[in-house]
Amino acid sequence: MIGILTIFQKEFKGFVFAPTFWVICFLLSVVFSWVYPIQLDLFAKLLMNYVMQQGVSVNQLNIHYGVFLRQVSYLNLMLIIVIPALTMKLFSEEKKMRTFDLLMTSPVTSFQIVLGKYLAAMGAVLGLILIAFVYPLVTSFLAKIFWGPLFIAFFGVFLLGAVYTAMDLFCSSLTENSLIAYVTSVVLNISIWFVGIGAEVVDSEAGRKFFEHVSLSSHLSSLVEGTIRTNGLIFFGSIIVLFCFLAERVIESSRWR
Amino acid sequence: MIQVKDLTKDFGPRRAIDHLNFTVNKGDVVGFLGPNGAGKSTTMKIITGFMAPSSGQASVAGFDVFESPIEVKKRIGYLPETPPVYGDMYVRDYLEYVAALKGVSKDKIKSFVKNSIEKTNLGDVQTRLIHHLSKGFKQRVGIAQAIVSDPEVLILDEPTVGLDPKQVAEIRDLIKALKGQHTIILSTHVLPEVQATCEKIIIINNGKIVAQDSIHSLAMMEKGQRRLQIRTRKDVLDMISILSSIPQILSVKEGSNQKEWEISLQGGDDVIEAISACLVAKGLGLLEFTPTKLDLEDVFIKLTYGQATKENLKNGVEI
Repeated sequence: MIGILTIFQKEFKGFVFAPTFWVICFLLSVVFSWVYPIQLDLFAKLLMNYVMQQGVSVNQLNIHYGVFLRQVSYLNLMLIIVIPALTMKLFSEEKKMRTFDLLMTSPVTSFQIVLGKYLAAMGAVLGLILIAFVYPLVTSFLAKIFWGPLFIAFFGVFLLGAVYTAMDLFCSSLTENSLIAYVTSVVLNISIWFVGIGAEVVDSEAGRKFFEHVSLSSHLSSLVEGTIRTNGLIFFGSIIVLFCFLAERVIESSRWR
Repeated sequence: MIQVKDLTKDFGPRRAIDHLNFTVNKGDVVGFLGPNGAGKSTTMKIITGFMAPSSGQASVAGFDVFESPIEVKKRIGYLPETPPVYGDMYVRDYLEYVAALKGVSKDKIKSFVKNSIEKTNLGDVQTRLIHHLSKGFKQRVGIAQAIVSDPEVLILDEPTVGLDPKQVAEIRDLIKALKGQHTIILSTHVLPEVQATCEKIIIINNGKIVAQDSIHSLAMMEKGQRRLQIRTRKDVLDMISILSSIPQILSVKEGSNQKEWEISLQGGDDVIEAISACLVAKGLGLLEFTPTKLDLEDVFIKLTYGQATKENLKNGVEI
């Protein structure tokens, strides 16, 4: 336990005192400061003119759908690109700079090393999500907001960030080269969205159901609409555990390879 | 303290170390000697629990390195070939991190770090980023991290590489100062380092131990052999015939010119006396006459490269 805490503290400090994290925070806020007011403005115009506009779905007249969900999907897009930038160095740099030797000859298990680093990266991801949350928070001064669905939507995107982090940590453990770790991470983050496509091509009912169950988007869509389903939580949890376990195996394998 | 039994490690088809057996007692300072690529680092990595052996066993303080690696790692301070330092950390923060990682209790971390900074003379740079330090200082930070948890066993892989002569002397003094408190294994291919710091030597070549003994007995291995360095004022055209009357002479080698000679001989002071008398009688203008014993370097070269030479000759290869 102390091992996890020590590594967590070191890595988290590494994020906070290194420019990478702050540059990402800055860019994230630049993008949102540009896109979010535009979304909000479009939504306001839609509300003013909705009597004249025929055929606008009722959903679109709700700020949760009209503004917040769009922001969440932009945030998801950003996370696909920026989380690899945070995690790429976690193992590859250690291997390259030979500081990996220190970790491997310290009285900590591979599991503690992976978990310490994972939690630190999650801390940084939480920071990014909090920055994105500032925008709806400010909006609450202008409009009446239902906090429940909003929190659940952001919780959903946080879980998604946790999935990306686990996958990207695994990618980082595979190589000594940060750039390769970054590219494989981004590709993996994007490709996990395409698993669900299988549901459209298989004919059998069982096959279709299987693909719907492993589809990230079907689990996420319920979360962002404000519904917490245990099967969704279990699905996200399983991916996180799977990739953390794989990373742990890769680290452990360096002892006998 | 450290026991190694039939330790073997294969990297694919290549055998890095081959059935090593040795024991290191508590408080010993052991020099691990061998040419590049002999298997020194591999052996050390296995003892630290970094790497698993292909077969055989290694144990530290009674704990098998593969069965209970955590117990072993608690007792070991390790300096790899490249010091494992984070460029983006301050020296003091880094040492505190390592101490915490090594399981030093929270209330003792400050004093342990202070101690290791004092021992390695890092006081002036403790608030600087490691990235900005010179190679020598980074090496010292590496040594500081190895001793920061006050481990029972210290394993130092080429600790003086890249240091200037003054720093080398300081590190040697430091290792001498650590004698007694820790059991130390030191790998190097710099012989004076071993002579200056170690009591026992293990010489390893091509993954096999070729000699292990105390420095004293290794140096005396070629018993009774001595060597003479001679410098004269006049050129000597044929030293062999001049000394032909002395049968104990084994070889005569010309130095950089005909005024400098190196003579190997078997025997005691009487032989040396005979040679000096012979040279003086010829009136060659004897300027220098230095008898030396065969040193560790000769033993080392004979045991490692000497073997290779013989093998190559057997295969008909000229080197």
